[in-house]
Amino acid sequence: MPMLMLLCSAVLPCAAAPEADAVIPVDAGWILQKLARPAPMRTAFVELRGSAMLKAPLRIEGEYRRPDPDTLVRAVRSPYAETTTLRNGEATIARAGKAPRKFSLSRVPELAGLQASFGALLSGDRASLEKHYRLTPQGTRQQWTLVLAPLGAQMKGSVRDITLYGRGAELRCIETRPLKGDLQRTLLAGAANDAAKASSADALVALCRAGAAR
Amino acid sequence: MLSERPLSARSRIVLALLWLAVLALAAWAITQRLQLSGDLRKFMPAAETPAQKLLIDELGEGPGSRLLLMSISGTDAPTLAAQSQALRSALAARPEFALVANGGDASLDAIPERLRPYRYLLTDTFDARPLDEALLREELDARVQDLGSPAASLIEPLLPSDPTLETLKLAERWQPANAPQRSNDVWFDRTGDKALLVAQTRAAGFDPTGQQAAVDAIHSDFNKIAAGTRSKLALTGPGAFSVEIGGRTAAEAQWIGMVDTIGLILLLGFAYRSWKMPILGALPLATAGLAGLGAVVLLFDGVHGITVAFGFTLIGVVQDYPIHLFSHQRPGMSPWANARSLWPTLATGVASTCIAYVTFLFSGVDGLKQLAVFTIAGLGAAAISTRFLLPALIDPAPRDFADSRALAKVWRGIAHLPRPKGSLVLVAVVALGIIALAPGRFWQNDLSKLTPVPADALASDAVLRDELGAPDVRYVLTLAGKTEDQVLQASERLRPALDGLVATRALAGYDLAARYLPSAQTQRARQQALPTRDRLQAMLATVLEDSPFNSDAFDPFLVDVEAAKRAPALTRADLQGTPLAASVAGLLLPGGDHATALVSLNGLQDPAAVAKVAMANGAQLLDLKEASESLVAAYRSRVLAALAVAALLLTATVWIALRQPRRVLRVLLPMALTTLLILAVLRGLGVELNLFHLVALILAAGLGLDYALFFDHAGDDRADQLRTLHALIVCSLMTLLVFSLLALSSIPVLRAIGSTVAIGVFANFVLALLISRQPVVEASDAVA
Repeated sequence: MPMLMLLCSAVLPCAAAPEADAVIPVDAGWILQKLARPAPMRTAFVELRGSAMLKAPLRIEGEYRRPDPDTLVRAVRSPYAETTTLRNGEATIARAGKAPRKFSLSRVPELAGLQASFGALLSGDRASLEKHYRLTPQGTRQQWTLVLAPLGAQMKGSVRDITLYGRGAELRCIETRPLKGDLQRTLLAGAANDAAKASSADALVALCRAGAAR
Repeated sequence: MLSERPLSARSRIVLALLWLAVLALAAWAITQRLQLSGDLRKFMPAAETPAQKLLIDELGEGPGSRLLLMSISGTDAPTLAAQSQALRSALAARPEFALVANGGDASLDAIPERLRPYRYLLTDTFDARPLDEALLREELDARVQDLGSPAASLIEPLLPSDPTLETLKLAERWQPANAPQRSNDVWFDRTGDKALLVAQTRAAGFDPTGQQAAVDAIHSDFNKIAAGTRSKLALTGPGAFSVEIGGRTAAEAQWIGMVDTIGLILLLGFAYRSWKMPILGALPLATAGLAGLGAVVLLFDGVHGITVAFGFTLIGVVQDYPIHLFSHQRPGMSPWANARSLWPTLATGVASTCIAYVTFLFSGVDGLKQLAVFTIAGLGAAAISTRFLLPALIDPAPRDFADSRALAKVWRGIAHLPRPKGSLVLVAVVALGIIALAPGRFWQNDLSKLTPVPADALASDAVLRDELGAPDVRYVLTLAGKTEDQVLQASERLRPALDGLVATRALAGYDLAARYLPSAQTQRARQQALPTRDRLQAMLATVLEDSPFNSDAFDPFLVDVEAAKRAPALTRADLQGTPLAASVAGLLLPGGDHATALVSLNGLQDPAAVAKVAMANGAQLLDLKEASESLVAAYRSRVLAALAVAALLLTATVWIALRQPRRVLRVLLPMALTTLLILAVLRGLGVELNLFHLVALILAAGLGLDYALFFDHAGDDRADQLRTLHALIVCSLMTLLVFSLLALSSIPVLRAIGSTVAIGVFANFVLALLISRQPVVEASDAVA
């Protein structure tokens, strides 16, 4: 507990009422209300992409942006520059010196899920989120996880579940467990800032789940 | 032949029913063997110019005529896209379609597993830049980014065997040359309101039943898919149009037929005060139709739909035969004696008409031969049944129409009519003047004008065609050669010139078989350029050393490249069963000792420029519309030549039958004048004449000949003239009713036939009355 307190006070702006939040059990409504951010907003991310073809998981750094309520932009800074724009059910991937490529989100259910959950999370739209997922909150207001289990058949075919890790009003990490293949992890906000210093995969896992109530 | 003793009323009914039963049996037997073909080629004369040959080879076979274009609109884009995908997979599973495309990524399946290694022979990626270490390094760097991108899960399964993603590049390249924008993974129009699909039917474009099946399949699948949503389907394309027009023509013909039937029943019932007459009157007509159809079925494989339509029009004249028998029947005269006395006149009309149709047998056109057989068999059967069967069935003692007071009054009026002589010359001269001097084209060669597509359907077709980049249906480029491979090579050489035309906007896009199937020469060159397994392995090892990929990550790639390097060149036969086969089949036409490659064009702005470039590169720009018009013209000149001979034969036959020049003139003059009058009226009204007018003119002439022959037959006997007048009034009213209704139709084909015959019947009746009737000798009144 002191460790958590330390982390919390060091990183979070939410430390205003740590004493109370640390003990109050969390519920989905509270989380969604806290996470809501009106557009435009932006947040840094660090993502780990594992594949059987790769010697080591790929570490991608960049920024998620939400310039308007209907658009989500994923701008990769390192190890290369690439911008993905999700809008109207379509993804557009733009790379330096290449014509942008487009594809439908329906072909990549996990991505559709990401956008839907991100959008719903950031707008605090619980109804929309519950249309696509069964929500299971755990932990306290200060340290929580929210498991999103897909309801739609198509999404169920590729994604087992999505787990959000957060502290107070901060969403720190998203873990997507596909049905096949490796778990994909995205660290956000404070966790992403911390990840800039961490290098080992284990350290990143720790950062993602840091103090999670599971 | 039946006994001449009159039968009892009951036996007459039994006999009539028996006749009907025989007809029904014959109808059943014929439908068992009847193969109606909509194939226009059967009805056209032999092709002579290359464009005509291609048109005849292409008619119903070409890529353009088999395409059905679809758009789905009315709801939000994701729903439209889902419906587009569902419709695509539903239709692709049906046997009616060779190809269904909606822009979806199904094209990845275009190459079946066994042909996958061939991607290295089909792709032009390595033509400009060989597959070397630098290229591999670049590609693998890009693949790392792909794995880190949101599309990773799409691409990852392809990577081990295809690190340069040639599969995706080929799938993209095989999209229609000028594909519409994609949204939600499927084609959408420019405004993004309509999901677009295109289907290629297996049935030929001019195969009405096949197109009907395809159109029905689309509607039924769409209705299932769109149930409960607000989305709407728009369907256009040559096949959809022919189905719609066929449906409209059938509906209108049915409506007209029903009014006709009621009208005829009322007319005959009124004329003869008997309910039996309409039935008895229909028997020879039904016999004629079945005899004609039966003869054609026996003598030809496959009956053309147009033969049946024209044939039934031409045998309409036999409806008159029983009327003469009815009107001349009177108490005290045996029906057999009645039939015998009418026979010389009836036989003269039938024989001269049949002899005239014989000329069609030598026209060299299959459709016209069928038409001749149909009409000769039909007219013959109707005449023989009227002479030898019908007398047994009719009431032997009806009232004598010579006793009709109303008729006598009419007749007295007619007797006072002048006998025109000089005025006829004037009429002929005026008619000829109008025919020659009326402005506007004399002949209508455009087949499409006969079956007009509604303007709004045409507009939506133009929009869809433009959006989908569908090929031009009028112009096509051709490359001829000895072998398929030769024309594929020629196509490859032509491509830079075509790209130039696209760059100068003379053309929006093009499609050719070499896009899907490179020539063997090109494939061999690509094989040679591929690195050997050892070299590729070494290159890969170097590149992988300092890359994030595992050293064995691309082993399947080595296997595929080696397989591609060793494989025999891909041929059209190897594509059998793949979606590519359909694309190639429409653009590469095999012949016995030659092959033709087609280049379909879309968004053609400058035909002259394209024709010039084509000529310079050994290709030829064909104008299919012009070819079809020249075919129609050739067809018509055959018909006209046959008709000229027919007219001479007819005159000769009538001359032999009547023997007196004055009588021959009296009989033939009304018919000839009527033909002039019909032409003058039509030309004066600005109507451009087509084949259907021509056929209707023949029918009108046949009717005129009969009217004149019967007026002539009546001789100078008053009673007989009255009976003849009754018969001819009934005949002409009947024909006038049927064809005036057709003239009111909205379908140009029906209108052409209807107006021509209606004018003809009127003119023939009046002229026959004025010219062919003989002066009455009142004294001979009592003689029967």
